Amino acid sequence: MRLLDVQGLGVRFGGLVALDRVDLGVDEGETLGMIGPNGSGKTTFFNALTGLYAPAAGSVRFAGRDLVGLEAHRIARLGIARTFQASRLCLGLSVFDNILIGMHARRTTSLLDAVVRRGRLLAEMREGVERAAHLLALFNRELPGRGFERVGQLPQIDRRRVEICRALASRPRLLLLDEPSAGMNPEETAELMRDLGVVREELPGLSMIVIEHDMFVIEGVSQRVVALNYGRKIAEGPFAVVAAHAEVREAYLGRESARA
Amino acid sequence: MLLVWLAEAVVFVLIVAGILAERPPALAATGAAIVALGLLLRTAPALRRRLGEAFAARRGAALAGGAVLALALPFALRASPYWTFVAALALLYVTIGQGLNLQIGSAGLINLAGAAFAGLGGYAVGLLTVGAGWPSWAAVLVAPWVAVVVGALLFVPILKTRGHYLALVTIAFVFIFNILMNNLEFTGGPQGIKNIPTLRILGYAFTTKPVVLGVELPAHANFYYAALVTAWLATVILRRLHDAWLGLGLNTLRDDEIAARCAGVSITRGKLLAFSLGNFFIGLGGALYAVMVGFVSPPDFDFGYSLIMLSVIIIGGVDSIPGVVLGASLLLPLPERFRFLHEYRLLLYGLVILVMLLYRPQGLWPAGIRRYR
Amino acid sequence: MPPLELLLQQALNGVMLGVMYALIAVGFTLFFGVLDVIHFSHGDVFMLGAFAGLSALLGLAAVGLTGGLLALPLAFAGSMLATGLVGVAAERVCVKPLARSSPLMTLLATLSLGLVLREAVLIFYPRGADPKPFPRLLPQGGFEVGGVVVRWENLVILGIGFAAMVAVDLVINRTRMGAAIRAVAQDPEAAQMMGVNLDRTVDATFFLGSALAAVAGILSGLYYSEIHFIMGITGGVIGFSAAAIGGFGNVYGAIIGGLLFGLLQTMAAALIPRGSEFRDVVAFAVVMLFLIVRPSGILGEKSVERV
Repeated sequence: MRLLDVQGLGVRFGGLVALDRVDLGVDEGETLGMIGPNGSGKTTFFNALTGLYAPAAGSVRFAGRDLVGLEAHRIARLGIARTFQASRLCLGLSVFDNILIGMHARRTTSLLDAVVRRGRLLAEMREGVERAAHLLALFNRELPGRGFERVGQLPQIDRRRVEICRALASRPRLLLLDEPSAGMNPEETAELMRDLGVVREELPGLSMIVIEHDMFVIEGVSQRVVALNYGRKIAEGPFAVVAAHAEVREAYLGRESARA
Repeated sequence: MLLVWLAEAVVFVLIVAGILAERPPALAATGAAIVALGLLLRTAPALRRRLGEAFAARRGAALAGGAVLALALPFALRASPYWTFVAALALLYVTIGQGLNLQIGSAGLINLAGAAFAGLGGYAVGLLTVGAGWPSWAAVLVAPWVAVVVGALLFVPILKTRGHYLALVTIAFVFIFNILMNNLEFTGGPQGIKNIPTLRILGYAFTTKPVVLGVELPAHANFYYAALVTAWLATVILRRLHDAWLGLGLNTLRDDEIAARCAGVSITRGKLLAFSLGNFFIGLGGALYAVMVGFVSPPDFDFGYSLIMLSVIIIGGVDSIPGVVLGASLLLPLPERFRFLHEYRLLLYGLVILVMLLYRPQGLWPAGIRRYR
Repeated sequence: MPPLELLLQQALNGVMLGVMYALIAVGFTLFFGVLDVIHFSHGDVFMLGAFAGLSALLGLAAVGLTGGLLALPLAFAGSMLATGLVGVAAERVCVKPLARSSPLMTLLATLSLGLVLREAVLIFYPRGADPKPFPRLLPQGGFEVGGVVVRWENLVILGIGFAAMVAVDLVINRTRMGAAIRAVAQDPEAAQMMGVNLDRTVDATFFLGSALAAVAGILSGLYYSEIHFIMGITGGVIGFSAAAIGGFGNVYGAIIGGLLFGLLQTMAAALIPRGSEFRDVVAFAVVMLFLIVRPSGILGEKSVERV
C-alpha cells in the first residue's frame, strides 16, 4: 500500500531550483534508497517533506493526507520522523532526555498533572525512559546504562544511534535517515547496517528513505533506489539497475567514465 | 541524616552571624570561621564527598531541615527589621528569578524586560488599590495577569524572530515602560503611586508585629513569610514543570529549534507558554513588592533591575532551579551587608556576571540531569 | 501641520542625528559580520568615546590649546585611538572567548560589560552622575536658506560625519585589511586558508568600529553641548536598531538605517504633540514594529542557517 506519494515536487531558493518536478512514492514496509552527488537535492527533499521548506510546486500525500503547507511539528505528529546529516542532539541533556523528546507529541499527561498529580506524570516519564532504554539496547547493550549521562559525552557513532532512537521513539510510519554512515569507518558502517537490520526486524511495517553516499549501505538496506541530480530524479529501480544507469554513472563519475 | 542537619545548622549560624555581627571581635570571629570552613572544604575532598553523599541520600531530610531554618530566620533576625526586610526582598527575587529562569534558562528566550514586567505587577496593584479601591489581596492576585497579558501582546508578533531581536524588543520595552510611567498622569508620573494599603488577610493587617511562639517579630516578618510561601510555591511549581514534558520541550527548543520541530514540538506554543508563565511569576514578585513597600515609582523598575535579575540567574546557574535560590540568597544580601560597596553595586554585579560567564558559565549550582524520581 | 520651514529644519537635524547613529550602527554591523555576535556594549563604547574626547579637550585646554581648529582634531585622534583600543580589549576579554558558545552567553557578557563601562564612568569620573558640558568649539552663526536656518556647526558635524563614512567605505573596499574583513565576514575558514590572520582581522574590525563610535560620541557632544554617562544606552539601542533595519552584516544598510532613524526621531518630535518628551518612545516603538513586520531588515541579513 502506498504510504507516501510525491508528485511534481518543486523547491526554489530565489532563482535557484533545488528540486525540479520530483515524483516518487514509498510503500508501507519498504525501504527506499536515495542517492545523488552533493547538492543534488536529497536533503532538500527531506526538508520539504518534513515541512522545513515550503514547496514552490507539487503535492505530497502521506497516508492519505496532504502535507504541503503544514507546519513541521504537525507533519512530525502525523508519523514522519527523521535524522539529520550533522546530528542535531541537545548535547547538554541526558541520553534519555534526547530520546524522550521523540515521545513528546504522544504524551497523555498535562501541565496540571506535572504539578498536581505528580505520580501520574512520573509514571509516564518512567515508562518513556524504559522504552528509550529498550530502543537503545537494540543497538548497543551498554548504552542504556549510560542513559543518564549527557549525550555530549558519547562517541559519534553512539550519538547517531541516539538520534535514530529519538526518531523511532515517536512510533513513526516513515523514517527518514540522512547519510547515517557519514564519517564512519568500514567497521562502524558494518555496525550501522546491522543496526538498520535490527530496526527492520523490530518494526516490520516501518517505511524508510535512506540518503547515502556509501553504495554498500544502499545496496544492503534498500529494496528500491532513486537517484537525483541537479534536483531532478534521473533514475529509479532496483539498485543494480540504477547503478548501471548511464546518467547516474555520469553524475558521479563524469562523462568519460560513463561511456566506459 | 544528622550530618546533613549539622551542616545546614552550621551554615545557618554562620549566615546569621555574618549578617548581624557588628562589633570588631564578633566580625573577626565570624570572618575567621567562614574562611576556616572554606579552607576545610577545599583541602579535604573526603569531607566534600561525605557531605555530597549524605545530601544526595537524604534529600527529604535536607529539605525538611532547610524549611525549618527558613522558618526560623526571622527569629534570628528579630532585632533588625531592616534585615528582615532584606530577607523578604531576597525571597521576592527568588520568585521573580524562577519566572525569568523559565524564560531565559529553560526556553532560551532572552527577556531583558524583567523589571518592566515586575513593574506591571507593582503598578497594577497600585492602580487597583489606590485608584479603584480594591483590597490588596485581590489586587495581588490579579496583578500578575496584567504582566502576562501585556507580555503576550508584546511577544506574539515577534514569535518567529531570532534571539537577539527579542532581546532588543525587550530592552526597548523596558525603556518605553519607564518613560511612560514617568510621563503619564494616571500612573503618578515621577512620584509614582503612594500609600498602597498593606495586605490584609481575614482581618489581619500585615503591618502588625506578629507574635510567633511567644516571640514578637518585626512587622516585616509578615511579608517575609508571605514571600517565603510564594517563593516556595514558585520553586516547587517550576521545578515540577521543568522535570516534565514542558521542561524537556523547552530545553530542546532552546538547544535546537529545528530538531524540536521535527520531533513534534510546537515552537509557538512552547515559547508563548514559557514567556507567559514566566511573566506571571515576575509580575507576582512585583505585586508583592508593591504591598510590602507601600509605593511604586519609575526608578524602582528600571533597566538596572533587569540586569540584577539576570545576574541572579547567571550566578546560580542558567536553567537551574536551586541555582536561582542560591543566586538570590547571595546577591541580594551581600551588597546590603557591605554598605560601603553600595555605590559600586551595579559595577560589581556586572563584573561578577562577566567572571562567571568566562570561567563558570554553568553557574554555582548547575542544572542537573533529570531523573524522574 | 507645522510650517514647511520647521519640517525642513527638523529634516536637517534628522540627518545630523542620523549620521551619528549611522556611525554607531556600522560598528554593530561589522562586528556581526565578522564574529556573528551582537556586541551589546558598543553603545557604551560610544559613550566612552565622548568622555575620552571631553577629557582630551579639557586636558588640551589646561595646557592652553583651546582653539577648535587645533584642539578638535587632536581630541578626535586621541579619543579614536583610546576608544579603539578599549574596543579591542573588550573583544579579546569577553567577546572572542565566548563567540564559540551559545549566542546567549555572548549577549549576556557584552551586556554586562556595558554595565561595567557605564558604572565605571559614573563612579570614577568626577561627579559622573551629572551631565557634563561639552566645549563649544565649532564656529558660531550661520545663514538662512528659504526660511531654514543653517548653522555652521551643523555643516561641520555633517561634514565630519560624512567624511568618517567615506573613510570607512574606503577602508573596507580599498585596503587589504578591508578585504580581509570582508573575507572573514563571508567565510572565516576560507579566509584563513587564503592566508588571512583571523585574530588580527577581528582586532582590526573592533578597533575600526569602536573608533567610529568615538567619532559619533564627540559629534554627539558637539551637537548637544553636553554628554551623560547613560547616553550609551539609547545610543546603543538606536545603533543596534539601525543596523537591524539595514540588515546585520550590511554596512550600507547600517548607514541608511541610521539616517532613517535620525529623521524618524526629529520628524516625530515635530509632528506629534508632546513629541520631544516621547521622542525615544516613538523611536523604540517604531523599531519594535519594524522588527515585527520585517525581521530580516531592509537590505537583508547576511546569514542563513543550513539544515
